[in-house]
Amino acid sequence: MFQWTDEQQAIRDAVRRFVAEEIEPHVEELEHGDMAPYDVMRKMYATFGLDQAARAGFRQMLDRKQSGDAPRSRRPGDSRAAMTLIPIIEICHHCPGIVTALGVSTGLAGGTIMKRGTPAQMERWGLDLLTLDKIGAWAITEPDSGSDALGGMKTSARRDGDEYVINGNKTFITNGPYADTVVLYAKLDDGSDTPVRDRRVLTFVLERGMEGFEQSKPFRKMGLHSSPTGELFCTDVRVGRDRLLGETEDEPGGGGRQSAKDNFVTERAGVAAMALGVIEQCLKLSVAYARDRLLWGKPIGDFQLIQLKLARMEVARLNVENLVFRHIEMSEAGQSLTLAEASAMKLYSAQAATEVAMDAVQLFGGNGYMSEFRVEQLARDAKVFQIYAGTDEIQVTHIARDLLGR
Amino acid sequence: MNVVVCVKQIPDPAAPSSLDPTTHNLVRTGKLILDDSDSYGVEMALQLAGQVEGSEVTLVSMAPGGEVSGLRTALAMGAAKAILVSDDALAGSDALGTAKVLAAAIRRAQPDLVLAATESTDGYTGTLPVQVAELLGMPSVTFAKSVAVEGSKVVVERQTEAGYDEVECPLPAVVTVTAGVVEPRYPSFKGIMAAKSKPVDTLTISDLGIDPSEVGATGARQGIVQVAEAEARSAGEKVVDEGDGAQRIVAFLEQIKVI
Repeated sequence: MFQWTDEQQAIRDAVRRFVAEEIEPHVEELEHGDMAPYDVMRKMYATFGLDQAARAGFRQMLDRKQSGDAPRSRRPGDSRAAMTLIPIIEICHHCPGIVTALGVSTGLAGGTIMKRGTPAQMERWGLDLLTLDKIGAWAITEPDSGSDALGGMKTSARRDGDEYVINGNKTFITNGPYADTVVLYAKLDDGSDTPVRDRRVLTFVLERGMEGFEQSKPFRKMGLHSSPTGELFCTDVRVGRDRLLGETEDEPGGGGRQSAKDNFVTERAGVAAMALGVIEQCLKLSVAYARDRLLWGKPIGDFQLIQLKLARMEVARLNVENLVFRHIEMSEAGQSLTLAEASAMKLYSAQAATEVAMDAVQLFGGNGYMSEFRVEQLARDAKVFQIYAGTDEIQVTHIARDLLGR
Repeated sequence: MNVVVCVKQIPDPAAPSSLDPTTHNLVRTGKLILDDSDSYGVEMALQLAGQVEGSEVTLVSMAPGGEVSGLRTALAMGAAKAILVSDDALAGSDALGTAKVLAAAIRRAQPDLVLAATESTDGYTGTLPVQVAELLGMPSVTFAKSVAVEGSKVVVERQTEAGYDEVECPLPAVVTVTAGVVEPRYPSFKGIMAAKSKPVDTLTISDLGIDPSEVGATGARQGIVQVAEAEARSAGEKVVDEGDGAQRIVAFLEQIKVI
């Protein structure tokens, strides 16, 4: 695969038009907190029939769960990867935060419930998340444990008869301030003397307004302003077993720890597509600026130091595009990336996007530092690619562990 | 109800275009896209068809090289099928030659209503739809800002300089729609994926029983004699406000009939 197919181009063109009409004119409001991303996300879903597709997909997943069949794995001819990644790339030309809010709500929160929940839990929470009727958050990170989220987790779920009592704080939670439904990870406190580090991780579903459950205001951040991020506080939140995903502590399929890790490959491929969107846009804006901006009587594109920046951006664009195309082609062949491959893809793409965006700011000079010229926003937004969904440093360890463990 | 929409596939206006140095015709090699002005007719047709059960929207187009990219866009919006006339003998056709071909193709679809844009974005003759109507023996209504089908007639609000006329005519008829008639929908992802399997009937002029001497460069009665660069814009008039700026601006706007 070296270019999009006709159908993929048609999808790209349709999404590009939507972004131009519905997102680009509102970037300033999204950036400054005057507009939450959720209405735009819902409009996109309704416009392209994605809500209806989600309902149809939900039915299939529910039927498979009820009949005891394994979740549908990738099959040859599977076009889902391209259909997912193309909108990500297009939206990230202008507003990566929307992709983050959308991906966390439908992919992480909705996806985890659909994968780990019972049929009743899927119907109770899953469908509304997949259609965006409700907004979801996925809460694993804590103030004292980011990269060591599973081992260092302090949030506890103490058994109390048939119920659990949850205590603890979560932070850096995308959609946390506004989520209706929260998938929350907690360590089981069964009264034994098992060290906290080694205790089972259970996955619960909490909802806005539950007694003892508080959602903070949005944080002020360096970038990604269009994606609300906040803290969650659990103080003696009492839940029944019906809110324990799978309704069992017996860790089917590896329990909460595996549930968290299941998302790594999809999430990391998604970040690479986000990086491609930022790179494409920075390169486009930089080429136009290098043509138009005159210094010493000629376009700055005539100067070799500017040419070097453009060349490095093009190298990055080609490399990241090739990685994204490779992922799509593997998906269409019914194959998945290994953890090392997905981590390597994310590590390279995140670094490339940050470097390209910072180079774009430099190429624009003083204008690049001004928000009007847009590249400063993309540079601030791109930086998070090296931090969330596993930091650069964690990607390195996952690549090495996967390679050495074979 | 069978609704036919005439759609033109044109070179992407956003891409650099060129004229053939000999014929002065627009070079149409490569991928073509749906003329944006036709997306309004497609949307209008889909809305009208949606009001009558069992209705169907058929696209009719003429393009070189069997090009279907623009048709796929309209099929993704919801049209059921398309008829494409593609034949090397059609190169250099003028508006009347094109109208003959489209009329012959439209006749096959047995339409109750034919919709078209007021003019194409690349040719701008604006003459083709009424020529098609004449060849089909149908009445035509141009510049529709709204279209409704009521039983066996079509009711149109026809845009004029002063406002609009209310026009009715019996079906079948040809109606041209303006850009303001409706807001074209986005194709859904499902629609885009389904479009590739929708039927496109590709025909030659012999399939339509058209004599090659009546169409193409041979049959053309119009020709482009000369192409000249557009005159450079003049610098305009600078108004210095000496206390009467507002009045002078109003006078200027009245002069160009803006107010």
